[in-house]
Amino acid sequence: MKAVMIIYNQALTEKVDYVLDTLGIRGFTQWPLVHGRGSTEGEPRMGTHTWPEMNAATITMVPDEQVDLLLEKVRKIDQINTEVGIRAFVWNVEKSV
Amino acid sequence: MSIYSSAVKKPITTLMIFAAVVVFGIYSFVKLPIDLYPEIEYPAIMVFTSYNGASASDIETNVSEPIENTLNAVSNLKQISSVSRDNVSVVTLEFEYGTDLDGAANDVRDALGWTEAVLPEGADEPIIYKFSTNMMPIMFFAIMADESYEGLEEELTEKIVNPLNRIDGIGSISLIGAPIREVSVNVDPRRMEAYNLSIEQIGNVLRAENLNMPAGSVDMGEMNYPLRVQGEFESSDQIRDIVLGNYQGKTIRLSDVATVKDSIRDVKYDEKINGQPGIRMMLMKQSGANTVSIAKKVNKELVELQKTLPKDVKILTIWDSSEFIQNSINNLSMTLLYAFIFVVIVVIFFLGRWRATFIIILTIPISLIVAFIYLGVSGNTLNIISLSALSIGIGMVVDDAIVVLENISRHIDRGATPREAAIYATNEVWLAVIATTLTIVAVFFPLTMVSGLTGIMFHQLGWIVTITIVTSTLAAITITPMLSAKMLRLRSEKRKKRWFSHERLILPLLNRLDNFYARILRWSLRHKKIVVAIVTLIIILSGVLASNLKTAFMPEVDQGRVAAEIELQPGMAFEQTMKVTRQLEDFIEQNVPEKELISTSCGADDRAGFTALFQNSGSNIINLTMRLTRAETRERSSADIADLIRDYLESLPEVTKYNVTTESRMDMGGGNNVAVEIFGYDFEETNALAREIAGKIENIEGASNIVISRDQSKPELRVTLDKDKMSQNGLNTAIVSTIIRNRVNGLTASWYRESGNEYDIVVRFAEQYRSSITEIENIGIQTTGGIVRLGDIAKVEEYWSPPKIERKRRERVVTVSVTPFKIALGDLADKIKAEIRNIDKPAGTLVNVGGAYEDMEESFADLGLLLLVSLILVYLVMAAQFESLKMPLIIMVSIPFAFSGVIFALVMTNTTLGVIAALGAIMLIGIVVKNAIVLVDFTNLMRDRGHSLDEAITMAGRSRLRPVLMTSLTTILGMLPLALSSGDGSEIWAPMGIAVIGGLVFSTIVTLVIVPVTYRIMVRRSDLRKRRAVKALQMLDI
Repeated sequence: MKAVMIIYNQALTEKVDYVLDTLGIRGFTQWPLVHGRGSTEGEPRMGTHTWPEMNAATITMVPDEQVDLLLEKVRKIDQINTEVGIRAFVWNVEKSV
Repeated sequence: MSIYSSAVKKPITTLMIFAAVVVFGIYSFVKLPIDLYPEIEYPAIMVFTSYNGASASDIETNVSEPIENTLNAVSNLKQISSVSRDNVSVVTLEFEYGTDLDGAANDVRDALGWTEAVLPEGADEPIIYKFSTNMMPIMFFAIMADESYEGLEEELTEKIVNPLNRIDGIGSISLIGAPIREVSVNVDPRRMEAYNLSIEQIGNVLRAENLNMPAGSVDMGEMNYPLRVQGEFESSDQIRDIVLGNYQGKTIRLSDVATVKDSIRDVKYDEKINGQPGIRMMLMKQSGANTVSIAKKVNKELVELQKTLPKDVKILTIWDSSEFIQNSINNLSMTLLYAFIFVVIVVIFFLGRWRATFIIILTIPISLIVAFIYLGVSGNTLNIISLSALSIGIGMVVDDAIVVLENISRHIDRGATPREAAIYATNEVWLAVIATTLTIVAVFFPLTMVSGLTGIMFHQLGWIVTITIVTSTLAAITITPMLSAKMLRLRSEKRKKRWFSHERLILPLLNRLDNFYARILRWSLRHKKIVVAIVTLIIILSGVLASNLKTAFMPEVDQGRVAAEIELQPGMAFEQTMKVTRQLEDFIEQNVPEKELISTSCGADDRAGFTALFQNSGSNIINLTMRLTRAETRERSSADIADLIRDYLESLPEVTKYNVTTESRMDMGGGNNVAVEIFGYDFEETNALAREIAGKIENIEGASNIVISRDQSKPELRVTLDKDKMSQNGLNTAIVSTIIRNRVNGLTASWYRESGNEYDIVVRFAEQYRSSITEIENIGIQTTGGIVRLGDIAKVEEYWSPPKIERKRRERVVTVSVTPFKIALGDLADKIKAEIRNIDKPAGTLVNVGGAYEDMEESFADLGLLLLVSLILVYLVMAAQFESLKMPLIIMVSIPFAFSGVIFALVMTNTTLGVIAALGAIMLIGIVVKNAIVLVDFTNLMRDRGHSLDEAITMAGRSRLRPVLMTSLTTILGMLPLALSSGDGSEIWAPMGIAVIGGLVFSTIVTLVIVPVTYRIMVRRSDLRKRRAVKALQMLDI
């Protein structure tokens, strides 16, 4: 069981939802509006007048074998246009209730 | 859920809402009446008081003055003036524009209650009369006939006037100059006296003979017959054979003492149309009715009704006020259409995409249609002001949609689906779009609060622009994203680019322009001092040029009509006046080939009581109206022709006073003249001063139509009765004056009836026996002791009756009015003022320059105040938007250049600055400020994103050049048809077009340089606020 957190430009919301659906991932938690900026190139997404764009974040707990499939999809989305921006981070789920 | 995402997610609902708006708008548009200007009610109330037998000066002191004194305290009163003539006092109260006249009339009525105690006993109760522009005639027709001329009045009343009266909205229709049939009995006094008869006796006989009477009924056998005495004249020929009595055994018939004529009444009145006898028909509308729709119906009906008239009767239009309105509105609507096309061209040029252009252009009809709803709901009309407002709006309503759409397509180009892009892209810009809209509203909204005449004109403009702009913003954040989501497609880069495509042809051009501008910008930033110097020079230069600017209140409009009121020497006989009239007609016939129709009338028709309200009449007065061919088809303007006629009238020695005008002053309170008002009690002094001033003004070039308001004294014959001698003969004033009246004016003895119509039978002296003082003195009066001559008991003397006395602000006044000819109203007023300064004015007199000039000054003052309010409001809105006191100043630096541009454009095209052009200048603020905001805002953005100051400025300039050019170009091209139009009414709006184009071209170019340079000068390299925040945190030593 791994936790995958996907943080992406809100303009990609539909694509991310579609990916989760096609992979049969049912459970997730979403933050529709989050702020942030990329470590190297990514433009700030602050929802301000200066940086009007916004990000969204989705965290989902998936079986280990699905992680690579999911990351592959995320990479594909990113390749459409790198300016838009999507990132995914994976970590272990130690326990759950 | 936000408004834009709802719109995108519920496209059908969005579409339906806008469809509903459009349907409602089209419904309002179809129902909208057409007019020239917004409804302007000239706020005046007149108080008529008659006091029979009092002379003008008695009326002044006993009636006019007390009434003025009590009414002076009525609220909202702007000015009080009065005219006192023999027997009548007319006090006019002029109120502030926008005053509720019903309320004012009540106040006046209450106040008049106080005067009753003060007014002389014999004076009648004052009558209150509300003046209304609606009372003005809207159409004049000339009706001519050959054979059927004599019975024309009956024919017309029955077949034209009565049917037309049934049209909804017609107030009244009157026939002027109609021949009136009358049976006149012209008595020879010598013969009459010889037979011992009098006019009254003859009248009694006629009355007694012309009689039908039921005399009961008779039973004969089984039948009952009503009995009637049938004595009425069956033909007018019977009248001459009436037996008046017996004298020395001989029967005396009417023909023995008089001639009987059954023909047209002998009136001292002459009505000619194109030199032929004719009748004028005058149509008035009901208060609040619409001129154009009535005129349409009347013209349609007339075509049908004319078929019922005899073949030789011709009906010509002398003047139809709806024609000019209709043509003007049509012209303006056409320019609106051209403006629309130009905007489409500009958008497609810059965007190069059909679908995008369609989405953007769609906001135009939606926004404009909402304006129609406003007009319909508020009960306004489609007029020059509302249409001008729409043509201003047309270039501005696309701006918001463009900003939204550009951002959406940016997202789509980056790979977002159109639906998502539409929502998120709108989310990013919608607040910025609303903020710029607020600035525009700040400029236009104060227009709705201006007072006075200017206010009435521009309320609509303020509302319409505000409403269309707000609607366009709403459309930009709802229907634009909705349609973008549905219609826009991702464009593949790989698509083959055809050689004539936008990318190949126009895009390189635009890129070159961007680069060129960036170079200029970089140079300017390095040479700030030179730029500032050049710019200061421009401002100074335009300031100098501003003094050459010609000013006028409203532009003089060529309505294809010249009207003149000409006064000959007082007391001039009617025949002589007619002769002059014919001369004048000949002159026009030969020298004015542009005329289509001339209608003249001279003399006084004593029955035309109502029409006397609109024109003076008298045996020495000529009224002339000329219709010219359409303005586009002739070289000379109506003002040129009016001047030609003035020159001719000047050469006629008989003419003492004339007033030649080119406009019907019916739509506006203003007009176009300078009035020099001379206040002072003494007639002689003020008359002399008026003549001196008039003489001086005559030398001023461009001063024409100089009219002194005070009439010359008029000669009259006065019968002074000797009371003693009268009583010796058993007479009194009442008897004698009735006797004189019956003999000179005539006694209506009875009525001759023919086919349901009644004609007067008038008995009086034949004309030769009542046309000299001797003849009048010779009038015989029968007394118990034989015949007494009027000369024995009375004196007939020639007498000069005093002029009418005019007062204004409760003081006697004489006005010298001057019309400018090929000179600006403001210049003329200045020159007149200079002349007056050099004239010695007697003590107790006061000279004031007013007239339309005064209205102009007032309007300009109002507009000046408006400008100030707008500027303050714009500053406040922007300071709040930018959260900075400095940024609005940088932006507002561009405003003076808009005005410089206006001045350059007006001076170069030799156009007069009127209220409408001034308004155009005020509107510029909105557009210019918008451009500057775009630049400054983007520069701030670039700096916030971490670019250096110079870099930020050039980047902003480069990337915002296209939006700025688009906004400016759409408005400039939208105004171009207005500035270039030349048809009916173009004089009114062309100056506005020129002003806006001049101002915008100039200010756009200057703004693109001066705003970045000012930014560079006023803003320090790094952001102070940020530095302070960092410093505070550094102190914490985290």
